[in-house]
Amino acid sequence: MNEQPTTAKPAKTLRKTPLGIRRRHVLVGAGAAAGGLAITRALGLHHLGDLPTIALPGQTQSPAPTGVDWVSPLDKPEAQVAHLLRRATFGATPSEYEQSVKDGFKKTVDRLIETPIAEPPPLAGADDATQEKPIRPQELISWWLDWMLRSPTPFGERMTFFWHGHFTSDFRKVNLQTPYIYWQNLTWRRMALGNFYGMLYQVTIDPGMLRYLDLGTSTGRAPNENYSRELMELFTMGVGTFTEDDVRNGAKALAGWREPLTQAMYDAQVKRAMEQGRQVPKNLKVDDVKTGVFEQQRAYVGGVKFLGLVKQWDTKGVLEQILAQDAVAPFIVTKILREFVTDQPSDAYVKRLADGFRKSRYDVKSLMRDVFMSPEFLAPASYRALVKSPTELMVHMARALETPALAKAIGVAGQGMGQLLFDPPEVGGWPSNASWISSNNVLERVNFAQVTLTGMPKIPPFKDAHVTHLDGVVSPATAQLLNSSPDDATRWLILLASPEFQLK
Amino acid sequence: MKELGGTNGLSRRDFLRNGLVFGVGAQALASGYAAVPDVFARAVLSAKSAQVQNDKVLVMIQLGGGNDGLQTVIPIGSSQYRDFRPQLSAAAAKAQPINKDIGLHENLKGLKKLYDEGKVAIVQGVGYPKPSFSHFDSIRVWETADPDRRQQDGWLGAAIAKNYDSLGHPLVGCACGTTSVPGMLRDLQATLTVVDDAKTFGFQGGQNVENVMGTLYKSTPGIYGALFDTAMTTARDTVAQLRTSAAKYTPKGNYSDKVNLVYSSKNQLAAALQLAAELIVTGTGVKVLHVTLGGFDTHYTELNRHDSLMNYLDAAISAFQDDLSGYGMADRVMIATWSEFGRRPKENASGGTDHGTASPVFLIGEGVKGGVYGETPNLAKLDQGGNLSYSVDFRAVYQEILTSHLAVDAKELLGQSFDRVPFVKTQA
Repeated sequence: MNEQPTTAKPAKTLRKTPLGIRRRHVLVGAGAAAGGLAITRALGLHHLGDLPTIALPGQTQSPAPTGVDWVSPLDKPEAQVAHLLRRATFGATPSEYEQSVKDGFKKTVDRLIETPIAEPPPLAGADDATQEKPIRPQELISWWLDWMLRSPTPFGERMTFFWHGHFTSDFRKVNLQTPYIYWQNLTWRRMALGNFYGMLYQVTIDPGMLRYLDLGTSTGRAPNENYSRELMELFTMGVGTFTEDDVRNGAKALAGWREPLTQAMYDAQVKRAMEQGRQVPKNLKVDDVKTGVFEQQRAYVGGVKFLGLVKQWDTKGVLEQILAQDAVAPFIVTKILREFVTDQPSDAYVKRLADGFRKSRYDVKSLMRDVFMSPEFLAPASYRALVKSPTELMVHMARALETPALAKAIGVAGQGMGQLLFDPPEVGGWPSNASWISSNNVLERVNFAQVTLTGMPKIPPFKDAHVTHLDGVVSPATAQLLNSSPDDATRWLILLASPEFQLK
Repeated sequence: MKELGGTNGLSRRDFLRNGLVFGVGAQALASGYAAVPDVFARAVLSAKSAQVQNDKVLVMIQLGGGNDGLQTVIPIGSSQYRDFRPQLSAAAAKAQPINKDIGLHENLKGLKKLYDEGKVAIVQGVGYPKPSFSHFDSIRVWETADPDRRQQDGWLGAAIAKNYDSLGHPLVGCACGTTSVPGMLRDLQATLTVVDDAKTFGFQGGQNVENVMGTLYKSTPGIYGALFDTAMTTARDTVAQLRTSAAKYTPKGNYSDKVNLVYSSKNQLAAALQLAAELIVTGTGVKVLHVTLGGFDTHYTELNRHDSLMNYLDAAISAFQDDLSGYGMADRVMIATWSEFGRRPKENASGGTDHGTASPVFLIGEGVKGGVYGETPNLAKLDQGGNLSYSVDFRAVYQEILTSHLAVDAKELLGQSFDRVPFVKTQA
């Protein structure tokens, strides 16, 4: 790389922005700024703690809230592939990028979607978690992040992450004195690209979910409405598509499940009882399943009206009745498009994909293929139209730097950016896109890049990282700083901390 | 690596349509978001003629999840209460009586003391017509002050944008103890910052890195460009402000987060209120603060859970009041609590309660005219769904805060007038 300060090239064409500020103003501003740069001190490769003092221009040019947009490179095959990898995975390593560019867009979509999802290695001790030997939150979080960094099927991991934010539970309410939250992660991964009906059934009887939304203690006699409401409002149909009577009757129709007891939990309870000189409860027994257990005597007996139909319901019937509603397909499709394509999908786009989703009898894999193969996915308006969540951002950083040992650091840093895994802020899941942008979060994101680079014993050569990761499309400010950086460590900092890298 | 050539050319997208140009009726993205104006936008703002000159400060405490009003201001005189709540009504015998009908939860001891000193207003039965039982929907109603769900901006964000001039500092509004902008403060034109942890709020790598980042986040293209740039500008301003404040501040209240709470990641209330106090007493010019205590969605084993939440809330508020009094600023600051809804009078099988409707709001401060306002909820007259009817529209509470405490035009913000709930002392 040319290590001398250079001037941003002037643009070829001028176009008026809504504010009447022409591109020339922007680029002239940048050019003048770059001309004023001087490196006063050059340093070794990775001593970012002593970032060289770069003499920065004064605040002379601040040409307005930027009435300009990125130029989409999505007409170019390699940019299409990079765009896909940023969204369908947690960002590519240089070698994955090379391979995918060689394969091309279509073949890469096939590979991502069709490869069976790889299971992570088991988390030691998690199956036997008890009150005495709970799972440690940081171990659980690192275990998953480590698999995000290493998994040979990163799309499966990305989808697991999506469902984790959709079918939420958190380790505080569920708590880690059981294996439930750990099992939930394994279950969400196994079902990640399956049929949505099958998914809903597994979610409904998932032990972690039974506890998180209280279905595990609900009875027909005094039903708990929590799960019934969120099943319709957040998981399938959306607010305003059902009545309060549906919530109440749904709660009756779903009641009867309880959490399973593992051998380790059973043993621990027996041991506690003996130590305290209490009788072991007579009905205590080990359940040989990793799902909820249905007890007919706790269920509601009799017919109720649910979503327009009166009958004696069972859980599967309730889910089938929900899936028969028109609201489900557009609701799920909108959520997926806002996560993978654009924050504001058009009604026609949603309808088209929702029709396909319904026709496929709610097959998630074919929905995701439709999403990636839709013209909208590669439309200029979709370029950098989404903001990376903290997890996506940090895992992408680690993969860009080819440093897979960052799981622990990412887990810790996530909390300061509003994303502690397994602990979403509310039952509605994680924030998205613009909601991630705040003074606090921008600072924390920049700090993570700085601390990571400072802690690395050896920093990989920068080479063409701005092309691999940013398609070579950068703002005048980013270009100016990259051009004037004295070494690769500084270049990496600029790249990873840049607004461009926060986007996908 | 080839020499980089700027943005590879820049194209425009329709920013007006996306509502990302400051000052233009922002339609805002569907998700809702907030930003703070950058230096450019501030110049526009500072031209604002109608400035408000008063030294009052508002602190909103969100009780996230739907606080059970009947376990907070307990209807000790009601036999229906005991019938509806065989388990939970155990709280009645231990409550601290306010009058023959109601008592404060036993763990709200500090609040009771403040009440006896005439510094607490309890507004009973606060709600709105056709209530939503969805957390998110009802939160949005309270945040935007719009039961019709048409507004995107938060009522306090709009109040800041319309009435206060940032004058070059970022702290007109501040969300403490969180990582993102709370919906109540959301407004593209509002000047505000977000600080999760004041102790770690700074740039790793020091001034050098900070300066580089200031340059990196400038004139960023794209639909999120202005948001990123202003967030960075605000982060830098906030770092500078906190540095100055920290040097001037020693807490004069006993803030402790050592309370055993059952769950929720959002329970650093005492720490968040301590930061709020620091910003207030060190003269940063902060006007509106927002903090959150989560965990109120008590669908199960509510008794212990809600007891500890009350304890925690009480300890944090007491420390905050002591701190402000110690600095002689308690007359300037008003606390207002809010929660998306109350809970169902009848308890469920899990020893908890499901989503309900109206619940009480607390206003706390030396400027408050203490007492009970609104009507004690009538458990003998529930609606069809077994829920309480509201007696005070939540916007009437907002109106009193805006008009009598902050001295700004409430009708402009709320779109209509409400019967006054006179819990603010009249100025002499």
